[in-house]
Amino acid sequence: MGRWLARLHTLNPRWLYLATAILLIIPLVILIPMPRGSASRATRGLYDAVEAVPAGGIVMIDSSWDQGSRSENAAQLECVVRHLCQRRIRFVVTSLGTVFSPEFAQKTIEPIAAQAGYVYGRDWVNAGYVQSASGLAPVISALALDFHTIRQADVRGTPIGDLPLMKEVRTIRDVRLVYVVTYAPSPEWISFITGQFGTPVAFGCMSMMAPNYYTYIDSKQLCGMLIGNRGAAEYEALIRHPALGTRLSMAASFGNAAVILAAVVGNLGMWAARRAGRRGA
Amino acid sequence: MRRRAVWLITFGGGLFFLLEFLLPARTPEWLGGVGNPLTPFLPSATNFLIVVSAMAVLLGPLNLVRRYLGMIVRREQGRLEGAVFLVFLAVSIVAASCEGANIHRAFDTLYNALFYGVQTAFFASSMALLAFYLVSAAHRAFRINNLEAGLMMASAVVILLGQVPLGDWLTQGLPDAFQVRHAAQWILAVPNTGVQRAVEIGVCGGAFAAGFRQWLGIGATTR
Repeated sequence: MGRWLARLHTLNPRWLYLATAILLIIPLVILIPMPRGSASRATRGLYDAVEAVPAGGIVMIDSSWDQGSRSENAAQLECVVRHLCQRRIRFVVTSLGTVFSPEFAQKTIEPIAAQAGYVYGRDWVNAGYVQSASGLAPVISALALDFHTIRQADVRGTPIGDLPLMKEVRTIRDVRLVYVVTYAPSPEWISFITGQFGTPVAFGCMSMMAPNYYTYIDSKQLCGMLIGNRGAAEYEALIRHPALGTRLSMAASFGNAAVILAAVVGNLGMWAARRAGRRGA
Repeated sequence: MRRRAVWLITFGGGLFFLLEFLLPARTPEWLGGVGNPLTPFLPSATNFLIVVSAMAVLLGPLNLVRRYLGMIVRREQGRLEGAVFLVFLAVSIVAASCEGANIHRAFDTLYNALFYGVQTAFFASSMALLAFYLVSAAHRAFRINNLEAGLMMASAVVILLGQVPLGDWLTQGLPDAFQVRHAAQWILAVPNTGVQRAVEIGVCGGAFAAGFRQWLGIGATTR
C-alpha cells in the first residue's frame, strides 16, 4: 500500500490531464443538479442596482472581454442583459478592452435583445471599440464628459448622432448604472465614474481576479460584482432564468475538484515516499 | 533640444490631466460659480491621445512586416514562420476590410473562418490548456511541508469549494454559518481585504513616486 501510494509522488502528468478532461467534459454533457446557495452580497448588490433603474432608464455596459475570458464573462454579460430586457431598461455597450470585444458582445447580446423585442438603435446600441492603449483613465473621463466626441460611429459605422437612443446619451449623467464586464476590470472606473460623477459602477470579473475587488465592495464604492460563473449562476437564479452560468458553474465545480484532488494525490505521494525513504534508511 | 521638447510635452500633458482632475467642477457661488476651465478640453485632449496611441499600435505590425520580409529575402532561419505571419496578416486585412461591405459573400465567409475558425479557436485552446497546467502544478508544487503551507492549502480548498456549487452540495447538511461558501466569503471579505488594502497602499505610493519622477523628467533617459 505504502509503495503504491509513493508512486503517486511521481505520477505521470498525462494521467492527471486525462482525469481533468473527463471531469470537465462530464458536467458539460450531463446536467447534474446541485443545490445553489443564496446569492452573495456582491451579486445581490448588482441585482438591486439594476432593479433600482426605472423602466426606460439607460445603463452603460463596458463589455471588454474576448476569447481569453469568454468562459466566465459571456455568462456574466448574458444574465445582466437578460435582466435589463426583462425590465425594459435600455443600454449602450462600449468596449475599452480589445478590438475583438465588440464582436463578442454583439454575438452575446443580439439573440437576447431580439427575443425581448428590442430594436437596435432605439433600445440598445453597440458603440464598439474605444482605443485605450494610452491609458484607461483619460478615456473613461472623456467618455463620461462627452460620449459623442469619443465615439463618433457605432460598431456598424452608423453615426452615433443618428441613433435615437444616443440622442439621449451625451454624458455619464444620462446613465443610471455602469456595468463593466471583463477579465479584470480597472478600478479607474470607480475613480472616474463613481468618484467624480456619483454614477454607480458594478463589475463582472473572472473568479481568480475577484479578491482584488472585495475591498471596493466593502467600502461600497462598487455597488455589486459578479464573480466568475458562480456569480452568473446566482444572478440567473435571482432573475429565475437558469442558463449558461448555471451550466458552466457545474463545470467549474468539477475543475476545482480536480485541482484539490491533484494536490491531495501529490501530498499523499510525498508523505508515502518520505516514509518509505525513512524505513529504507 | 529634442529631450527638452519631450519633457515639456510630458510635463504639460501631466499638468493638464492633474489640474483637470483636482480642480472642482464648479467653484462655490461666493467665488463666482465658475466651471472647471479645463474640462471642456478633456474630450479633445483624449482624442489626441487616442490618435497618438493608435499610431504606436501600428508600429508593432510595421516592424514585424519589415523584420519578416528581411528574413525571407535573406533566406534566414524562421522565414517559414515569417511567411505564415505575412500571409495571415494580408488575408486578415483584406477579409476584415471587405467583411460586411456587401462586396461578395466570400469575404464574409473568409472573415468568419479566420476569426471564429482560427483565431478564436487558437486563443480559446491556449487558455483552456491552463486548466491542465493548473492541475499539474497543484500535483507537483502544492506540498504541505510546514504549518504555513498547511494554512495556505486549507484556505485554498475553502475558497475553491466556496466558489462553486460543489461546496454547497458537500456542506448542505451543516448549519448555514458553517457552510463552506460562508467561510469562503469571510476569507475574501475580511483577511483578503486587509491584505489587498495594504498591498494597494504600497503600490499606490510606488506608482505615485514613479509617476512624479516621469512627470518632472527626473532620471529620464529620453534622447
